[in-house]
Amino acid sequence: MAHAIKFHPGMSLLEQFAEGCLSADVALAVAAHIDLCPHCQQLHNDVTADLASQVLLQPVKADNTDWNSMLSNIVANTDMSQQDKPQAERPQQLIEVSQRQFELPRALRRLGANHGKWLHLGGIATAKLPTGNDHHVSLLYISKDTEVPQHTHLGLEMTLVLAGKIVDENGEYHAGDLLINSPDDTHTPRTMADEDCLCLSVLSAPLHFKKGLTRLLNPLQQFFY
Amino acid sequence: MLKLATASRHDRGHYSLADTSEPMTGTTTTAQPWDEALTFVALKRDQQAYADLFNYFAPRLRAFGMKMFGNEQQALEMVQDTMLNVWKKAALFDASRGCASTWIFTIARNVRFDMLRKKQSRKDDISADDLWLNGEYPEPAADDAAAQWDNQLLTEKLAPHFNQLPPAQREVMEKVYLQEKTHQEVADELAIPLGTVKSRIRLALDRLREALDGARN
Repeated sequence: MAHAIKFHPGMSLLEQFAEGCLSADVALAVAAHIDLCPHCQQLHNDVTADLASQVLLQPVKADNTDWNSMLSNIVANTDMSQQDKPQAERPQQLIEVSQRQFELPRALRRLGANHGKWLHLGGIATAKLPTGNDHHVSLLYISKDTEVPQHTHLGLEMTLVLAGKIVDENGEYHAGDLLINSPDDTHTPRTMADEDCLCLSVLSAPLHFKKGLTRLLNPLQQFFY
Repeated sequence: MLKLATASRHDRGHYSLADTSEPMTGTTTTAQPWDEALTFVALKRDQQAYADLFNYFAPRLRAFGMKMFGNEQQALEMVQDTMLNVWKKAALFDASRGCASTWIFTIARNVRFDMLRKKQSRKDDISADDLWLNGEYPEPAADDAAAQWDNQLLTEKLAPHFNQLPPAQREVMEKVYLQEKTHQEVADELAIPLGTVKSRIRLALDRLREALDGARN
């Protein structure tokens, strides 16, 4: 049986997502989670229907807008050529890293196809997604049996497991699990000997490495950020 | 009422909102007339149906836009873009997958998101199209997956209570529900009367129901 996803975005995050009020990069992580999680797909549908009825089925005061001219402009428009290709028909492109291939969820396909160069450091590789804003959105590949040095976050860190498995002090995370770490959380994620891992990582500020020699990594933190 | 109205409408082959009661008054939240109107736009590019939809939704979208943008120019730009999309993409609407108001809302939300980004044509930015399906619906396979997930969730909730059933009841339940044997087969296997099999199942189900209700309260 399919693995049941255990780590979901909270209800208020889902509501803000459905309303379109989250910052784009946080929304991207939530959207990719929803693609992977049938439970949240259902919740998201319900929340959206509820919002829609609040916004669009309530009485409204009359206003002075010249609706008739807007209406006739629209129906005069018979050019249907601008329609985008349905998303379902867009080809799936496999992501290749360290001789491994991965499929990406729908939300990440367009951006994933244009990812930056993979940067390798030990068993870890990272590639930025072209999201053009202040959060940093990247794909993170962790080979089998590899530890990500213990770190804290100066800002919010969201990690969505896309394939494989990763474990830390708090538990095990499988494909679809969404981890949100605040600046107070310190953790040491690692992969097990039998399974590598591909994640989506959204960082709102650089990581800060805490332990021993890995403090030397701090100058390299732009690797993760 | 509505069913009959729909049927006669199809017989005549044209659209008329007048068949349905009071959809234009502000207080009713009956969504169904709008589902029909949008379906008529989808199937026949019916201008009267579109005008009815427009007259109802455009002022409401404007109010939503005023709230979100705080200025009328952007609010009206959002209404214009949204309603143009509704006109062009109506063919994607499927009343069996959700109501018209929800479908129109998602289009408005996406238009607004891209307006705020002001970069909708840029390849190197997140667009509403990445985050949400734009008028489309997810692959139907998701429903199966959802059912499977619910099933698994229930199984996970049930499992601990199942293990606490008295051994005689648990044995019968395992054979019936996990090994999918008939009551008679179980009776034969355990060399007990059929009635005993049935009563053990009833008792076990009763216990499980109680345990689940307890967990809920």
